[in-house]
Amino acid sequence: MPGIADDTFIDYIQQWHGIQPPNEFARRAAADLAKVITDLERIRGTLRFEDEPSSFETALLEASGLPASEWNA
Amino acid sequence: MTSLADLTLVEAAEAVRTGAATSIALLDACLAEMDAHEAAVNATIWIDREGAAAAAHAADAAKATGPLHGVPLAHKDMYYHSGRLTSCGSAIRRDFVPEHSATVVERMVAAGAYTFAGLNMAEFAQNGTGHNAHYGDCRNPWNLPYITGGSSSGSGAAVASRFAYAALGSDTGGSIRLPASANGVCGIKPTQTRVSRYGVMPLSFSADNVGPLARTAQDCARMLGVLAGHDSRDPTSARVTVPDYEAALDGDLRGVRLGVPTTHFFDDVDEPVAFAFEATLAVLVGRGATVVRLPLPLMDAVLAYGAVVSRSEGAAIHADWMRSRPEDFATHISGRLFAGYAVPAAVYVEALRARGAILRAFAREVFGQVDLLLSPTIRICLPTLAATDIDNGPPGTEELALGISANTRPFNYLGLPAMSLPCGFDPNGLPIGLQIAGRPFAEAQVLRVADAYGRDTDWHTRKPPFTTTGAAA
Repeated sequence: MPGIADDTFIDYIQQWHGIQPPNEFARRAAADLAKVITDLERIRGTLRFEDEPSSFETALLEASGLPASEWNA
Repeated sequence: MTSLADLTLVEAAEAVRTGAATSIALLDACLAEMDAHEAAVNATIWIDREGAAAAAHAADAAKATGPLHGVPLAHKDMYYHSGRLTSCGSAIRRDFVPEHSATVVERMVAAGAYTFAGLNMAEFAQNGTGHNAHYGDCRNPWNLPYITGGSSSGSGAAVASRFAYAALGSDTGGSIRLPASANGVCGIKPTQTRVSRYGVMPLSFSADNVGPLARTAQDCARMLGVLAGHDSRDPTSARVTVPDYEAALDGDLRGVRLGVPTTHFFDDVDEPVAFAFEATLAVLVGRGATVVRLPLPLMDAVLAYGAVVSRSEGAAIHADWMRSRPEDFATHISGRLFAGYAVPAAVYVEALRARGAILRAFAREVFGQVDLLLSPTIRICLPTLAATDIDNGPPGTEELALGISANTRPFNYLGLPAMSLPCGFDPNGLPIGLQIAGRPFAEAQVLRVADAYGRDTDWHTRKPPFTTTGAAA
């Protein structure tokens, strides 16, 4: 969403968090969130998510290739 | 060797154990190096000479039992020592005195080590260059006008400068590996959950890691063996068996498949860095490894979601101070934090929800073909402090500063172990680092390759010249 008004983000932050932009750099950084949005748009629909309960910690163990006997030392 | 400070960590511990050197002699040697070069490097925030001398004498009077007995260490100033000032590189916590000690600090004490200095760092561990508006920028001992990398800037510079035999760093987007690379030392970010974070200043609960910087892979193995393992005070820490990391260092790389990414990691790489990397591969092939060049899957998602997670968590952790005293942060720190508040909660949850699935898919595809991934740690020749001074530089400065961590950040979202070790020097006399990443909990394999490389090269033995010309001593 390049070109989005940075005040959109600033208003949002003020309303939800009660935090004012501390300096001009903060205003620029908020405006740069447009790139983050663009990056997220690019991957939208390319990933399949799991419905089952899971955790990243479990994924680490599964991806480790270690035998399950070593997971709970 | 001209000084006891030139010993590696393992050699220093062995010298104390056998009686070849005393702990107080090791400490005096480190302090002598510090006295000679600290004014140029600015690697420390505090030094406790009296407390360290007492600890050294106590170590000398006791029987050596632990693997770090009598070894003086210094750490990034964000590890809690009960009753001792811990600044976190900030003005906000300049007077902060924690009431408890970090588990990793207690483990090092139990292993026989003691802490004698708190090391410079980026404010709240929030930049990759080492700039610090409150305690002064840490300067690269290999060429003083250049960056040390961050956020564990003092840890990298202190180990390279022989101020300490090893130092703890922390790594949320590269903060161990970047200063290891920039200062010509070794540093390992373990698997997410491998090391307890109890008593450690948080930046991102999902991506923070504790790990050592030291001069050799064997030194890192010794340190990690002390640090790793489950801690009931950090419920996120893994219960996975901690192997004998040093026992894995046999120099034999026959059958090891090294992956070189054709995606992301070499985009706009500087020529001296690419040259050093290829020369490094040749050394490893000479030890029996094979090289496979392969594209990496899901890198767009890894980078996008990784940014969402670290921005959101860093912002949340600092919210109270951002409301009450934002002027006490450096400009670029509060500015970056501010933007983090605009990330919607649903996007943050999406980034965490996807993380496990992305890791599984990444590991299945990549580690089905190779055992480890190799890349430059930093893909460009190191820039100067002036060129990356975000608060005082011209437009575009931030892009250069952020680019420093382009090759390290992906492994934080993926949670994989990754290490940097020295593999050459650029035309300015500044170190170039090799990054090795592996499967979850494959630290032993990562260290094994790093150690094997060190057996055939001498980059890790060189001493910085502390000049402004980069001419190696």
